[in-house]
Amino acid sequence: MSTTTLPTLETEPVVAVKPRRRGRLRYSRNRLAYWLIAPAVAFMVLVHVVPMAGGVWLSFKNLNTFTFAQLWGAPGAGLANYKAILFDAGNPLRSGFLGAVQNTAVYTFWTVAGTLGGGLAVALLLNRPMRGQKVARTLMLTPWIVPSFVVAVLWQFMWQSDVGVINKFLVDWTGLLGERPVWLLGGNSLWAIIIPSIWRGLPFCMLIFLAGLQSLPRDLYEAAELDGAGPWQRFRYITLPLLRPLIAVQLLFGVIYATYQFAIPNVMLGTNPGPDADLMMTLIVRQSFSNNLFGFGAAASVLLMLAMLLWVAVWWRAFRRDLEVPV
Amino acid sequence: MTIKLKVALAALVVGVLVLVGCGGDGSDDSGGAAATNQIKKGTTVKLWIMPNGPDPQADMEKALQPFTEKTGIKVDVEVVDWGVQLDRIRNAAVSGEGPDVTQAGTTQVPFFAALGGFEDLSKRVGDVGGKGAYPEGVWNTTQVVGQDGTWAVPWFTEARVIYYRKDVLEKAGIDPATAFTDWDAFRSTLETIKQQVPGVSPFGSPGKKAFDLVHHVMPFVWDAGGAELSDDAKKSTINSTEAQEGVTFMADLIKDGLYDSSELERDGTQVENQFKGGKLATWMGGPWVLGSVKRADDENWVPAARKNVGVAPMPKGPTGEAFTFVGGSNLMMYKSSKHKNEAWELIKFLSQDQVQTDYASIQGMFPARVEPQQAYGESEGADFKAVFEGIQQGRTYAPVPQWAQIENAYKGRFGNILDSAAGKGESYSPETVQKELDEAAKEADGLLAQSAG
Repeated sequence: MSTTTLPTLETEPVVAVKPRRRGRLRYSRNRLAYWLIAPAVAFMVLVHVVPMAGGVWLSFKNLNTFTFAQLWGAPGAGLANYKAILFDAGNPLRSGFLGAVQNTAVYTFWTVAGTLGGGLAVALLLNRPMRGQKVARTLMLTPWIVPSFVVAVLWQFMWQSDVGVINKFLVDWTGLLGERPVWLLGGNSLWAIIIPSIWRGLPFCMLIFLAGLQSLPRDLYEAAELDGAGPWQRFRYITLPLLRPLIAVQLLFGVIYATYQFAIPNVMLGTNPGPDADLMMTLIVRQSFSNNLFGFGAAASVLLMLAMLLWVAVWWRAFRRDLEVPV
Repeated sequence: MTIKLKVALAALVVGVLVLVGCGGDGSDDSGGAAATNQIKKGTTVKLWIMPNGPDPQADMEKALQPFTEKTGIKVDVEVVDWGVQLDRIRNAAVSGEGPDVTQAGTTQVPFFAALGGFEDLSKRVGDVGGKGAYPEGVWNTTQVVGQDGTWAVPWFTEARVIYYRKDVLEKAGIDPATAFTDWDAFRSTLETIKQQVPGVSPFGSPGKKAFDLVHHVMPFVWDAGGAELSDDAKKSTINSTEAQEGVTFMADLIKDGLYDSSELERDGTQVENQFKGGKLATWMGGPWVLGSVKRADDENWVPAARKNVGVAPMPKGPTGEAFTFVGGSNLMMYKSSKHKNEAWELIKFLSQDQVQTDYASIQGMFPARVEPQQAYGESEGADFKAVFEGIQQGRTYAPVPQWAQIENAYKGRFGNILDSAAGKGESYSPETVQKELDEAAKEADGLLAQSAG
C-alpha cells in the first residue's frame, strides 16, 4: 500500500498521511466544487439515468394495449422482446426491422458524409479572401436556423413530382430529365430525406470548420509554399491533419444525431414511410406509440443505444490521440 | 409511488428512450348506475374536445351557454390537438387525473375502454334513447367485442362519399345520376373524363401519408364481400380473395392512369386541397368539405370547383352493396370523474337533437342521432342527402381494442400496394398484392394475439 509523504524539513520527522485522511483533505479542498456540480449531477441522474434505467426495465416487460395500465407491474417478458427482434423472423411484429437497420445505416452514412464533406468544402471556399465574404457566410448559415420541422415541410413541397420546384427545374426549365421522377415514393424516398438532412446540418459543420481554419497558423502554409507545396499538398498535409480533432468530434455527434433523426423523415414521409425509407426511429415510434408495443419499442431502443455505444467505443479507439490536450 | 407519478415517469422514460435509442381510479362510484341523479349547481365539469371546426373553443363554449344557464353547471372546455389526444386521453385514463368527459374518435373507443378508466354507460344511455336512437353502424362504435357495456355516446358522424365536379362531368357528357352507381360505372366515368377532359386528373386519393387511407380502401373490400377481421374478430381476413379483389380495384385505377399517382405523395388535407384547387375531377371525402363550400374564408377553393361541387354515395361493388366508412366522434365519461351526474347531464345536453344539429353543422359534420341526421340531410339539398344516404350504408371496423394498431398495419400494406401500382417499390402484380395482404394479415394476427398475460 502506498503512502504519500508530505514535504518535510530536515529537522522534522517524516509524516505519513493515511488514504482516508488524504480523501478528507481532497474533499475539504474541493468541497465547494462538489456542491457546485451537485445540482447538475442530480439533474442528469433524474433526466438521463433514471428514465434510461426505466426504459431498459420496460424492455423486459410485456407492455401492450392490455397491460399499459399496469406499467411497472406489467407481466415480465424476460428476453422475449429482444429474441423477437433479433432472431424471430416469423414474428409479425418484427416486420421491417432489418430493412430499417439497413436504411438507417445508408441514411446515416450519406448524411454524415454529405454534411462533413460539404461543410469542409464550403468552409474552405469561405475562408478565402473575397468580396462579400461576410454576406456569403451569413447566407450559408440560414438553413441552420430553420427548424427541422420547417425544413421537412419545405422540402416535401419541393420534391412533389407534379408541382415541386425540383422537378420543374430538372424537367420543365432545363430539360435535364425527360420524365418527372417521383421522389417521395419508392427507392427515391430515402434520398428525399437524406438531402434535406444534409442541407440542414451542413451550415453548423461549416461554421466549426471555418473557425478551425481561421485558427491554423499561417506560417506553416508560408513555409510549405516556400518548399514548393501545391494547394492540394498543403490541404492534404497541413489542413487536414490539423483539423482532425474537429473532424473527429463532428463525426461522433453527426453519426449519433443522424441515427436518432426522426423529425425530418416523420414530417416528410409519415410514421410509416414504407420499406424503402423506414428508419429505426420511425419503426420504434410506430411500434411504441402507434401500436402500443411499448416493451417491444423499448427493447428496440435499447438495441439502438447499444449500437451507438459500440460506435462511441470504435470512435474513441480511432480518435483518442487526436483529442489529447498537451499539458 | 403513486400511480400518477408512475405514469408521468413512464411517459418520461418512453420519451427519453425513444430519443436516445425508448391504477387505480380516483372514485369508487359504481359504473353507470344512475341511482341518484342529483345535480349540484355551481359544479364545474371538465370537457376535452378536439379541434372541431374553425374556432373550436369559442364554438363549443357558445354551444354550452344554454346548458350552464339551465342547469347551473359550468363547463371548463379544453381543446386537445388530434396529434396528442390519444396519448393524453390514455394517460388520463390510466392515472385517474383527467377531465370528466372527453371526445374520442369512434375507432378509438374500444382501445380506451380496454384501459379500464372509463365509465360503463349502459344504465344511463336509456336517457338519450339508447341503441334505437342511432344508426346501427354509429351505435356499434360504442361497443367492444367480448366486453359487455356501452362505453360511449355517439356525438357527431361523418361518412365518406364521392365528390365530383359537375362541370367536368358535363364536358365529358356523363350523367351524374349514373356516373357512380357501381364499380363499372365509376371506372367508365374516370376513363371518359381522361379521354374527354384534358388538364384535370380523373381521380385522386392520398397514399400512406394519410391517417385515413384505410377508410378509403376498406369500402371497396367490403363491397367485394371482404372484411377486416373474421366474424369473431379473432383473426384477420384482409388476405381473403374478396379483400384482394377490393384492393386490386382501387390499385388498378392507378395502374391504368385513372388515379393520379402523384397524389400518393400527399397527405389527406393536401389531396383535399387538390380537389378544391381544381386539379381533380373526383375524390373521396367526408362531409366537412361540403360544409366548407359556403365558407368564403376557405381560400383553397378555385371558383370553378367551388361552384360545381357534386356529391354521390360510394359505388356498389360485385356484391351489390355500396358500403362506406362511417366515423366521427363519441363522448366518453371518465371513471375517475367526481361529478358523474353533472357529467352525464352534459352528455345528455350534447345529445339533444337541436344541439347536435347546430354543433355538427358548424364543423361540416352530421348529427349522430337518426332523427336530426335525417332532418339535416334532407334540409340542405341533394348533396347533403347523398351524405345522409352514405351514413345509412355506413360500416365501421370490428370494435376490438387493438383496432388502431391493426389499422396502422393495414395502412402500411395498402400504401405499399398503391405505390407498387404507381411503379414504385415492388413491381405490381396479383402476387405482390397477395403478398402484401398476407403480411398485413400476419401483423394483424400478431396484434390480436396480444393479451394481458
